[in-house]
Amino acid sequence: MDKKFEGSLGNSIKIAILGNFTLSEIRDVLDAKCTQCGFKLDYYEGSYNQYQRDLLTTRSGLYSFNPDFTILFLDIQSLFGDVYFSPYRMNEKTRRVFIRKKVRELTQLVTVFKNNCHGKLLIHNFSVPTYSPLGILENVQPFGFFEMVEYLNRKLSKFFQSDTQVFIYDYNSFLNHHGKMQTVDPKMYYIADLRLKRQLIPLLCDDYLRYINAIKGRVRKCIILDLDNTLWGGVLGEDGIEGIQLGTTAPGNAYLEFQKYLLSLHERGIILAINSHNNAEDVQKVFEKHPYMILKEHHFASLQINWENKVIKLDNISKELNLGLDSFIFIDDDPVQRAWVQKSRPEVFVPEWPSDPAHYVRALQGIKELETIQITEEDRKRGVLYAQERERRLAKSAVLDTLEFLKSLNLKIEIQPINNFNLPRISQLTLRTNQFNMTTRRYSEDELHRLIANQDTEIYAALIKDRFGDYGMTGALFLKEDKEALVVNNFILSCRVLGKDIETALLAFIIQYAEKNRMKKILIKLIPTKKNIPAQHFLAQAQFKKIMQENETEIWCLDVKKGPFYPKHIEVIVCKD
Amino acid sequence: MQRLRSVLSKVLRISPKGITDETSPKTVETWDSFQAITLVSELEMTFNVHFSMDDVLSVQNVGDIRACLKKHGVILEE
Repeated sequence: MDKKFEGSLGNSIKIAILGNFTLSEIRDVLDAKCTQCGFKLDYYEGSYNQYQRDLLTTRSGLYSFNPDFTILFLDIQSLFGDVYFSPYRMNEKTRRVFIRKKVRELTQLVTVFKNNCHGKLLIHNFSVPTYSPLGILENVQPFGFFEMVEYLNRKLSKFFQSDTQVFIYDYNSFLNHHGKMQTVDPKMYYIADLRLKRQLIPLLCDDYLRYINAIKGRVRKCIILDLDNTLWGGVLGEDGIEGIQLGTTAPGNAYLEFQKYLLSLHERGIILAINSHNNAEDVQKVFEKHPYMILKEHHFASLQINWENKVIKLDNISKELNLGLDSFIFIDDDPVQRAWVQKSRPEVFVPEWPSDPAHYVRALQGIKELETIQITEEDRKRGVLYAQERERRLAKSAVLDTLEFLKSLNLKIEIQPINNFNLPRISQLTLRTNQFNMTTRRYSEDELHRLIANQDTEIYAALIKDRFGDYGMTGALFLKEDKEALVVNNFILSCRVLGKDIETALLAFIIQYAEKNRMKKILIKLIPTKKNIPAQHFLAQAQFKKIMQENETEIWCLDVKKGPFYPKHIEVIVCKD
Repeated sequence: MQRLRSVLSKVLRISPKGITDETSPKTVETWDSFQAITLVSELEMTFNVHFSMDDVLSVQNVGDIRACLKKHGVILEE
């Protein structure tokens, strides 16, 4: 299982959990869930109700454990103390003061945490009560008991909205979803101070795994979809365009809604592709003529619609999109196809799929592998970008000569020094890029901030555009001056811009930089992996010579002689700040 | 008794053979407060019963568990 994720951030994760009641039941379940996902869990559990000491003491067990992910799970009843039982002993004004004080206490704890730990922090929000001593009059109270908790939750969400280290877990929604009456076993609460039924702990841990997957960069970018009995009911080849089930009445409405949810994922950046046994012309007709076909041809980055077997088609999609197999989620109603794909391409994530279309939407919503801890502007556009790329390929097949084709693209590169706006995306490029990534060294945002503070590394981002659209920020350079040589600590290019001479243009920029600073050599660090073959090829092609090897790190050298050559078909703009 | 033995042996990680009515937290090292909680929910799930708070608090040994299950209408064959 671990092999799947070789070369990602590493498979061990340090998780700490702090709270104000008994949390001991979580450990084993979380451990099992982590193992299932291929993570090795290292766990720290704060002592019973000692979260404040753990968070406020610099040399606490928590900070010496140095977790990647900390969960702060506080129960509202313990947080409020006697106020939970008698909220109306206080008047409205005092209740407001009380809540403001609680918000301040919590945010202060977090501030101390941030000063002492670079890992992510997940804070449970609070369960809004369902009982009030005022009964049915509760909701006519100004700033009543329920509103106090709602207000606290809102404040916390607002406070950490743009924080990239701290996240709020909507525990109140989790409890609502499962029904608050059903989530606690009163006798176990009184006997052992358990605040959540044992049966729900695996579901809570599933939610934690959504964050953990995202933190560890295990994000699937592309959903591959079957058509018959997946995007619509029935078999197009037999039932015809009028006969397939897709529309406003059952069962067609289940497929319609499923498509709507897929579209919303596409709009937030998920790439869509089709892998189906069908006649392409028939499907074309559905795209063009079916009134309820929400997903159109232009939403898909790859259309593998033919009678080849599904594994071959999957490989074709991977080649076509330049994405590794570990980027894919494969959705198909046929259990035989699923089992076969899973067996022959274990890197692909193949979710269990319900046989009843009424459950398709839920199955889609339950996929943890689509989570990301942050959505950058680039992410949002990705689904569209890949679909545009398919149109580019169509244009390319019309123009035979590659250079002619590249010229016709009107490529533009804008090179920017690192700043607060592009930093999250640069971190993301280091996390997610595997093929054209010289070292596959990952940098968190914090590490980048530290690199900038040290002032010895120049970091650049490259923005790429052409006449079909914007590829977004897809390249990064880490440059360091070392006496007479310019050391390239990393050189990253997203796979979706490869094959357009962008890499040559960026190399020209590096050479120009070296010349300007009177450096005679360029040294590029390379750590070869199974995946970064394109990067390795590039170095050889660009006349670099391997001159040194230390453990797994190789140093490749190029003498700076002649002036830099920017490819003629690319316009390069270098921004000063 | 077979089913009860198997729950006990699974949760407490002990051999089902040595379990008698006298088996208790005093005789089994792994039967701590944490495993006791696990035991309650495992028993409730296996026998599809809901214990009361008194039930849980009154249990001192395996014999008490048996009595308790019997009270809830669970018939344990020898």
